[in-house]
Amino acid sequence: MSYPTIRIPFGPQHPFHIEPEYFMFEVDGERVVSVKPRIGYVHRGIEKAIEDRTFIQNLYLIERICGICSHAHTTCYTQAIEEILGVEIPPRARFIRTIIAELERIHNHYLWLGLAAHEIGFETLFMYTWRDREIVMDLLELLSGNRVHYAMNTLGGVRRDITPEIVEKIRKGLDALEERMRYYKKIAMTEPTISKRANGIGILKPKDALALCAVGPTLRASGIKRDVRADDPYIAYSEIPFNVITYDRCDVISRLFVRCDEVFESVNIIRYAMEHLPEGKIRIKVPRRVPEGEAVSRVEAPRGELIHYAKTNGTTKPERYKVRSPTLGNIPSLCKMLVGGYIADIPIVIAGIDPCFSCTDRMAFVNVNNNKQWILSGEELRRYAIKWYRKE
Amino acid sequence: MDGGRNLAMVRELLKHLLKKPATLKYPFEKRVPFKGFRGGPIWDMRRCTGCELCYKVCPSEAIEMIGKGLEAEFKHYLDRCLFCGQCEEVCPVNAITMTEEYELASYDRAEMIIEFKREEKASKNLSRSSKNV
Amino acid sequence: MVPEGIMALIQILLFPGFLFLIALAFFHEWVDRKLLAKLQNRYGPLYTGPAGLLQPFADFIKLLSKEDITPKAADKFMFSCAPLFMLSFPLLALFLIPVTGLTASISFEGDLIFLMFLFTLIAITIFIAGWSSVSRFSTVGGVRAAFQMLGYEIPMTLVMVGPAIAARTLSISQIVGWQTHNAAWFIWLQPIGFAIFVLCLLAELEFIPFDIPEAETEIVAGWFTEFSGRKLALIRLGKDVELVLAASLITSLFLGGPNSSLPILATGFFLLKTTLAVVLFTTLRALFARFRIDQMIAGAWKYLIPLAILQMVLIQLGFGRW
Repeated sequence: MSYPTIRIPFGPQHPFHIEPEYFMFEVDGERVVSVKPRIGYVHRGIEKAIEDRTFIQNLYLIERICGICSHAHTTCYTQAIEEILGVEIPPRARFIRTIIAELERIHNHYLWLGLAAHEIGFETLFMYTWRDREIVMDLLELLSGNRVHYAMNTLGGVRRDITPEIVEKIRKGLDALEERMRYYKKIAMTEPTISKRANGIGILKPKDALALCAVGPTLRASGIKRDVRADDPYIAYSEIPFNVITYDRCDVISRLFVRCDEVFESVNIIRYAMEHLPEGKIRIKVPRRVPEGEAVSRVEAPRGELIHYAKTNGTTKPERYKVRSPTLGNIPSLCKMLVGGYIADIPIVIAGIDPCFSCTDRMAFVNVNNNKQWILSGEELRRYAIKWYRKE
Repeated sequence: MDGGRNLAMVRELLKHLLKKPATLKYPFEKRVPFKGFRGGPIWDMRRCTGCELCYKVCPSEAIEMIGKGLEAEFKHYLDRCLFCGQCEEVCPVNAITMTEEYELASYDRAEMIIEFKREEKASKNLSRSSKNV
Repeated sequence: MVPEGIMALIQILLFPGFLFLIALAFFHEWVDRKLLAKLQNRYGPLYTGPAGLLQPFADFIKLLSKEDITPKAADKFMFSCAPLFMLSFPLLALFLIPVTGLTASISFEGDLIFLMFLFTLIAITIFIAGWSSVSRFSTVGGVRAAFQMLGYEIPMTLVMVGPAIAARTLSISQIVGWQTHNAAWFIWLQPIGFAIFVLCLLAELEFIPFDIPEAETEIVAGWFTEFSGRKLALIRLGKDVELVLAASLITSLFLGGPNSSLPILATGFFLLKTTLAVVLFTTLRALFARFRIDQMIAGAWKYLIPLAILQMVLIQLGFGRW
């Protein structure tokens, strides 16, 4: 390109961002020529803070890595620590964890649908989906005592039980949620303004998706059947039949459909789990000191594959903890999708991977150009940032 | 461009003209939380034995103990509290209850510290509605 | 008898002059916000004044009291003038539209062309506002506004001329008079023209699905990102007055205008019809998502212009006029 390109910064503050992140776009007219992301604005030093707290206190810290995937984070954590401890949680606890996980998935997908609609300027759909989100939040409040940050998991099981009245209310809520999602899917399929803004936008070919390690609905919308719940079953997924949803158009509208269908699957999983809820205890006692060991645990958070690594040394506090969240895995694919598109497509494509930058900012860095990875400590990070700004 | 008007959307839109809005006119209409909602915790000082378990388990150091054993009194920092309910769970004598109070905000930081003393019954009431501007 | 000068002054400043038009602008903004809220299952303005009627006015006063910052690199003269033009062009255009009877405060043969010219000037003002702000978001917004004008300008002009051909006059007041005397409104004589006109006005007002120059989620606020305080208050008021202008144009050209020469009846009809036009705009606004700029222009040239030409051909063949 021999014309000069304009550089447009997106973020860290921008009305479209829910969380701060920084993308520097080089544009030529309305076309994006290149993109440079910078993350780290929500870096809170959580991994270091985890080393300072006991295992029970860490439950609540890890829950607050993210507001929407909070249950996925605690499930991953408790799984890792329970593996090091060598305990098996009771079957009833596993099923209750599954029910909450799937309700969280429904919650996340409704929220996402509203945000995606807001990105393309469809305010009305945004208002409607967020109103329907209240149904699932009320169900979660009934179950756990809070609308976000459910704090249901604990080491050795879950903290609260499900009574038959709650089961009845959940059934009614699920019927309403399913019916509304059918309606929204119909709108997504037939509304001409939506299809103009999402069809053929943000293409990610399957081999690129695999090479750049995309995860979650982003990967499944490129036709690749990968889901931790099916590949590496955890909690109760080995006992509950469900389908892994894929669509193969590789664009934003596929990601939308993947999420809509995942809501239907989640509704079915919850119904099955509630019908086959085993009797028994909901938690077992675990010792306060965790023996020396390490474990890796994976769950399918609503946004994709979430990996936790735990290392313990026989005391009451962990020695080292590492979190790799799904959005971090999707950022390289995001950059690939954005180049060549229009400025007006940027918000919907970024929203298409369902970014959660709160989950993303830990201490690892990925250079998107050559996929090199390195980890910086706090001091190195500071020196790097100062050097970078001086170059600017 | 405006070719296929999506009739389903139009019908839905017009139906809303007759529906009551989904918004609650807070503070004139308040939502009552469900039973089991984790609001602000209160300590029943008649039962407390001063075992210090709640103080040790709190993830954000929101509980401060003054004194020891049966003479112990508490200061609870509402602005640090996570409302996680771990203190309620760990108390061996069920002295802590998570109430359903959620209107706990205030303009003054001093009002965010709740004290639970030993002298008489029901010390500080958590209800803030009279203090709300 | 009140001297002519005083009458003219009252007409310009009070009724149907500035005060009336600005009050009407606030009222129409309230109608728009309240109806949009109802369609979206929420309340909209609620507490300021009865049912929130005073909310637009309160927003205006609040903005006047805020700090007015001019970016260092901005072209100060154009930056300060743009809000003034944004308000004065629509106000001037509104004097050409009959409110209290069958004739407007200003009317002459060819005032329809003058009105079209004012529309173009408004679009150019938007572009200048964006360009002189120098910030990246404003530049992109201003350029998009100029592009959008390329899309809607021609079909809008074509269909505005439709009623003029049928009424054999280029004066808006005469067109209203023709519709009243022949008891025929152009909405059913030239329905294609009406539909195209509504769409082009949506684009001109920058309402969804054509609020591309102002796309909140993409470029913050587009061309008026850098304006704050008094300048932003004037721009917002200018946009509201533009809404009144668009509604009154639809009323005069296609819905028969005030339809009577008695002042009270005429004003009543005028208010009723312009509010109906605003209701139409708002409903369309709630219905759609936002288009991309290239889709909008492609759509305008592929669909709107051929349909407008078709409307013209139909008029020549005798449909749509007496």
